[in-house]
Amino acid sequence: MVDAARHPKVDVRTYTEVERVEGFVGNFQVQLREKSRYVYADRCNGCGECATVCPIEVPNYFEMNLAPRKAAYVPMSQSVPLVYTIDLDACIHCYKCVEACGKLDAIDFEIEDKVTWEDVGAIIVATGYSHFDPSVMPEYGYGRFPNVITAMEMERLNNSAGATAGNLIRPSDGRNPQRLAFINCVGSRDKRYNEWCSGFCCMYGIKNAVLLKQVNPELEITIYYMDIRTPSKGYEEFYNRAREAGVHFVQGRPSLITEDPQTKNLWVYSEDMALGSVMEREYDMVMLSQAAIPQPDVDAMSSVLNISQSPGGWFMEYHPKLRPMDSPTDGVYLAGACQGVKDIPASVAHGSAAAARAGRVLHSDEWEIEPTVAVVWDDRCVSATGRKCGICSRACPYGAIDYEQGKAAHVITAKCHGCGGCVAECPHNAITQLHFTDAQLLAQIHALLADRPEEKILAFRCHWCSYGGADLAGTSHFEYSANERGLRVMCSARMDTDFIYEAYRLGAGAVLFSGCHPQDCHYITGQPVGERRAERLLSAFERMGMTPGRFRIEWISAAEGDKYARVINEMQQALDNIPKEKLMAEIEELRPEMERRARRMREAPLVEEALEYSGRLEAVVLAGAVRVPEEA
Amino acid sequence: MDHTRTLTFADQVRAIPEGEHLETCYACGTCVSTCMIQQKVEPQYNPRRLLRMVMMNMREEAFKSPTTWLCSACDLCYPACPQEIHISGVIGAVKQLAIEAGYTSPLETVTVDESLCSGCGICVMVCPYEAPALVEKAVDGQMDRVSEVDDNKCMGCGVCVAACPLGAIARPGVSNAEIVAQIPEPSAADGPSLVTFVCDWCLRSDADMAVLESYPENVRVIHIPCTGRIDPEMALRALRSGIDGILVCGCAPGECHYKRGTYVSSCKIGLLGRMLDEMSAQAGFGSGRVRFVQIGTQERGRIRTEVDDMLAYLEQAVTPVREAG
Repeated sequence: MVDAARHPKVDVRTYTEVERVEGFVGNFQVQLREKSRYVYADRCNGCGECATVCPIEVPNYFEMNLAPRKAAYVPMSQSVPLVYTIDLDACIHCYKCVEACGKLDAIDFEIEDKVTWEDVGAIIVATGYSHFDPSVMPEYGYGRFPNVITAMEMERLNNSAGATAGNLIRPSDGRNPQRLAFINCVGSRDKRYNEWCSGFCCMYGIKNAVLLKQVNPELEITIYYMDIRTPSKGYEEFYNRAREAGVHFVQGRPSLITEDPQTKNLWVYSEDMALGSVMEREYDMVMLSQAAIPQPDVDAMSSVLNISQSPGGWFMEYHPKLRPMDSPTDGVYLAGACQGVKDIPASVAHGSAAAARAGRVLHSDEWEIEPTVAVVWDDRCVSATGRKCGICSRACPYGAIDYEQGKAAHVITAKCHGCGGCVAECPHNAITQLHFTDAQLLAQIHALLADRPEEKILAFRCHWCSYGGADLAGTSHFEYSANERGLRVMCSARMDTDFIYEAYRLGAGAVLFSGCHPQDCHYITGQPVGERRAERLLSAFERMGMTPGRFRIEWISAAEGDKYARVINEMQQALDNIPKEKLMAEIEELRPEMERRARRMREAPLVEEALEYSGRLEAVVLAGAVRVPEEA
Repeated sequence: MDHTRTLTFADQVRAIPEGEHLETCYACGTCVSTCMIQQKVEPQYNPRRLLRMVMMNMREEAFKSPTTWLCSACDLCYPACPQEIHISGVIGAVKQLAIEAGYTSPLETVTVDESLCSGCGICVMVCPYEAPALVEKAVDGQMDRVSEVDDNKCMGCGVCVAACPLGAIARPGVSNAEIVAQIPEPSAADGPSLVTFVCDWCLRSDADMAVLESYPENVRVIHIPCTGRIDPEMALRALRSGIDGILVCGCAPGECHYKRGTYVSSCKIGLLGRMLDEMSAQAGFGSGRVRFVQIGTQERGRIRTEVDDMLAYLEQAVTPVREAG
């Protein structure tokens, strides 16, 4: 940290919050609020005279509130920069600090927050994680029994620079405990609180036990665990060292802690798997290894940065295996535990990878993106005529579409990821997607349903999930009906209602609307856009009296080849169950309605026009329809 | 592809409502140590193992396991389970299949004396397990409406025994006569005499039970399966014979081993206290002499405070009940 602060090319801004982020990869503008310390950073030399004379003491957050700090303080002695801060919530304005500061004249109660805008090329998010508060679990009595402490409190008690100078004492009476219990998985691997495994608690529990045993080999330490997870290099060896040092490991999750009202000793109830029986054991002190949870302000942060969150609240990565350090927004990268629980080696690796990614942006004059971006036909966009719309902007998961009433919607090409959701959502066919134009897809539908359409199952597959699922079904030799005809789009959000009406107008036997499972969407929120549309279609078809089974919605991942084959076979079965004459009659009966519903697509000379446009598209893009600021 | 196959034992359990969450158990043992049955009654009792037996299709072993039959569905383990499995629901499903397969409950259950039963149906109302039902059957040669108890459903809490106005129901070991016989004669020599009725489940640790047993002769401890087994008449009988105070000790609200035994008894003891209050001119007479305490699993050591408090109160209360009442 000290090295980083001294580096000529590193500018460390502490006590500063990111309030707004605008722009796109390579061209971000960031609004920063540097909170007032009431101390001039360039005048303060960190001597600490102000803290010495300050008469106010408040709990020290860094010491887990086990020790006091003054109202004039630094969070810890290694703070970077070593500049004192006046805690105005606690300050009584006695001004002794101002007096003590003397000639340096560094303290000024009139200093205000400083708000600045900075231009940056890339953003790395490294906001870390927070801790689960075990006081919500009544069974462990944290907060009611003084000798039940958390692992973070243990870190400070066991630290030679901590509140007790490394002397382990128990809070109820200040005596040194002899019998200690560590309880793992407090609030993690627990569906009532957090389902995930926090990953590193096994190791820090073992580390604390080994450290304590080194200082005092007489200590009796028992670690209660469900599973010990020591998968990284050297971890299992360390676990063995702890066993050799005499630390007891008991498999069994404690269900209850009770306190003796006189001695304040604690009784831990758990099943001991090795014995198969319930054990009731007495300890002087209990440490809870609490779950790692996302930072409390993670929602605000994710909306400022326009990056999504995985279930649980961690920031979502672009791809869990191939691009874990990239956020779904180009130019915004994730480092460390903010993306998901990580221990130190994993965080360092993740952070280094994020830095390399950001470096790539900073060293590039050009940035390659997927070619399947959306383009607005300015002359078709109703917003240009002054009408209120903005449907495309609301459908975009990336905030890539600028919408202002009176102006045609504008796609910021560098932000567009090419899901095509806006294209399908636009009721006026004013947006198209390169390489997936309406004309191209309609031509495919016509070709796929050219021969005996009533026997065909037209399957709309999303590129990332159900298309992969169909592929896997093929490579795994799962047999499914040969009447299936697949059509690839990038996302289920691109599956336009018009395509489905057109398919039925042409006489398709059945249509499958398939995509990623909810939350697995490659385009963050594309799947929900597609799902809402598909549900609307399903109820519309029900009202029209279509035989159930002719339109089906299924979410199939790329790993579910068997499911894909099963769904197609079930659809074939459903189709076979409809007598041929009845099916033909139904197709004929519904054809006028389908024609009416798909008329906008055909009445507007878009299909023909777009075929012509698509030839011009490349020229349009190259001619600078994509507005990139000059400085880029 | 042929997807049909014969249903395994695990499939059968899963098919019964509440049995479906079986698979998510990762064997942490929380249910085993939350439950008091293993420590207090049966060392072989282990819900974690029963769930594993079901998963591994160990049908006969599961049916014979004491876990299948001893679980009283108090559901202390349900909110404690980190995988949110309704364990008593799974056990109930196993029990249902065991009964269908012809197995019977090994528990000590209640018996109805049909010649005394009037068919009033109070037992049907109070039973937490829907074990008794009114049936038409021949009693002493003529048709009568009487209560009949399903032995496989009865958990033996004795709530119905206490509730029966005619004394027609009994449970071996804790019949009215057997409990009344334990109420001692008061001896004036060693301080106020106190009778403590304590349910089998409310004192989580053996140390607390030992505390209770360690009091001198004037504090008599009577063990009952559930405070719902208390008949107010027993308390009245004790007071009339010269006992100074009655302390009824049961599980905390929501923790009753027999679902609603403590609820029934809290109503009864509360009423008895109010009745005594009204009978006597002495303020707080009933509520001071007859007390009902509900001790939670985490309240280690509370029993000592409660008994000491009660003895201190009785020491001060000048009028012996005999004279006041």
